[in-house]
Amino acid sequence: MAYIDASNISKSFPAKSGPRHVLDRVSVSVARGEFVSIVGFMGCGKSTLLNILSGVVPADTGEIHIDGRPVAGVSEHASIVFQNYSLLPWFSALENVRLAVRAARPQWARGEQRKQAERYLSLVGLGNAMHRRPNQLSGGMRQRVAIARAFATEPEVLFLDEPFGALDALTRANLQQELARLCSAAGQNVTTVMISNNLDEALLLSDRIIPMTPGPRATLGPPVAVELPRPRSLELLLHDEHAVRARTHVVESLTDHVHAANARRARMQSRTGSAESAFVAADSREADI
Amino acid sequence: MVGNFVLPLVGIACAGLAWWAASAQVADLPSPLETWEESKLYIMEPWAKRGEMDQGIARLAYYSLLRVARGFLLGIALGTPLGFLLGMSTTAHRMFDPVIQVLRPISPLAWLPLGLILFQKSEPAALFAIAICSMWPTVLNTMSGVRAIPQDYWNVARVLRLSRLTTFTKVVLPATLPYMFTGFRLSLGIAWLVIVASEMLTGTPGVGGFLWQEYNSLIYSHILLAILTIGIVGFVLDRVMGVAEAKLRSI
Repeated sequence: MAYIDASNISKSFPAKSGPRHVLDRVSVSVARGEFVSIVGFMGCGKSTLLNILSGVVPADTGEIHIDGRPVAGVSEHASIVFQNYSLLPWFSALENVRLAVRAARPQWARGEQRKQAERYLSLVGLGNAMHRRPNQLSGGMRQRVAIARAFATEPEVLFLDEPFGALDALTRANLQQELARLCSAAGQNVTTVMISNNLDEALLLSDRIIPMTPGPRATLGPPVAVELPRPRSLELLLHDEHAVRARTHVVESLTDHVHAANARRARMQSRTGSAESAFVAADSREADI
Repeated sequence: MVGNFVLPLVGIACAGLAWWAASAQVADLPSPLETWEESKLYIMEPWAKRGEMDQGIARLAYYSLLRVARGFLLGIALGTPLGFLLGMSTTAHRMFDPVIQVLRPISPLAWLPLGLILFQKSEPAALFAIAICSMWPTVLNTMSGVRAIPQDYWNVARVLRLSRLTTFTKVVLPATLPYMFTGFRLSLGIAWLVIVASEMLTGTPGVGGFLWQEYNSLIYSHILLAILTIGIVGFVLDRVMGVAEAKLRSI
């Protein structure tokens, strides 16, 4: 059995016009120590899937096991990084991280908890800004705090919900490298599931990329392995011949899957007489990926 | 400069002029100058104690403030937990909201007799009236503060697996604090409004008691002195709470 094993996950939310089916019998499995990215359009249900995998939100149907244990609520071995940082604004960076360490390691002495928090803040380059409040930090620095908070509890599973989505391109590139460094330092001890709408980011960090079709009733496509040596860099992805080929392969597989899904949807919609508009919508969304 | 100092002074002068004009029409209403002449003693010797009600204005205000402080503290001590309960539990909210909406508009003049029946003494009855009238803004603001906590913060508590107690002290309480303080400021304003009514009815020394006694003694200028004192003290209280509130919100 895979380390993370989710099968037949469905989720719908009540809406005015009846229930909105966001996920339809989605299955994922992730091996121990693997870094998997789920890539798809905005609003296709990626975040919902991640929230279900991590135990923040319960699924309507389906089963999730992590390391053989069924998921019910957020596991003590899991950390989550959200797109909007989710730091508590009344605490300093250090206090935010300490709160996590204290909750995860209540048996440690206070000094030990503090040292652990300081160590991980230093690891993400915030050694000099630990005592600042989130509103005194830039977006990139805030996300560094959130990443430090996630790693400071030494999790076995890491869930990343578009962690760099709100950052400018340069900051994003820096943080991607930092994250890659932290993940490779943790080695086989940490298994990561990342949600992203940025293919290069996924290529840079992942062992496997799973495409997600646009919702409603979102499903996952066949995973694409990223067989590139680490450490990777954006330059490498753009210029190295092997990397460019790998990238092309990934992009083709992903777009094939999305096209197939769109064609299926278009066929279904043509029965109701709106095929053309469906194709137009699909094409205009293609540009994002 | 002009806007901050001169204009308010012009406004005060206009109000004084209106007072003076009214006093020229109504025989019993003392003019500003007569009020000053007859109140000088109370203002120049603010801490003097000549008799039960015949005391300097600052001493009378102090008695009233002390009583308000006690009633107000009792009110927020009851109101804050109630606000948290209503904010966190939909069941509690559904259960108690109608009760609160009915109790809220009841005047202190209505509560006082009930307090006298319940406690048999004037002092606890006054505190009861102040507390029960002033607690509602604290209850309602604390409640809406808890409800306004962004989902993000609840997620943090869930993801970090914080205990109930830690969630309350590290997440709910800090997030609600600015709202609570708005409630406190409004509650204090009401507590100060209620003081006059409760002192009038119970005849206890303080600004309100003094006002009622001087009315019965037909010394109308002292009524105006008491009214002005109540207004100024209330204004200062509101400003002090406003500053504290702004400090909290800046976090």
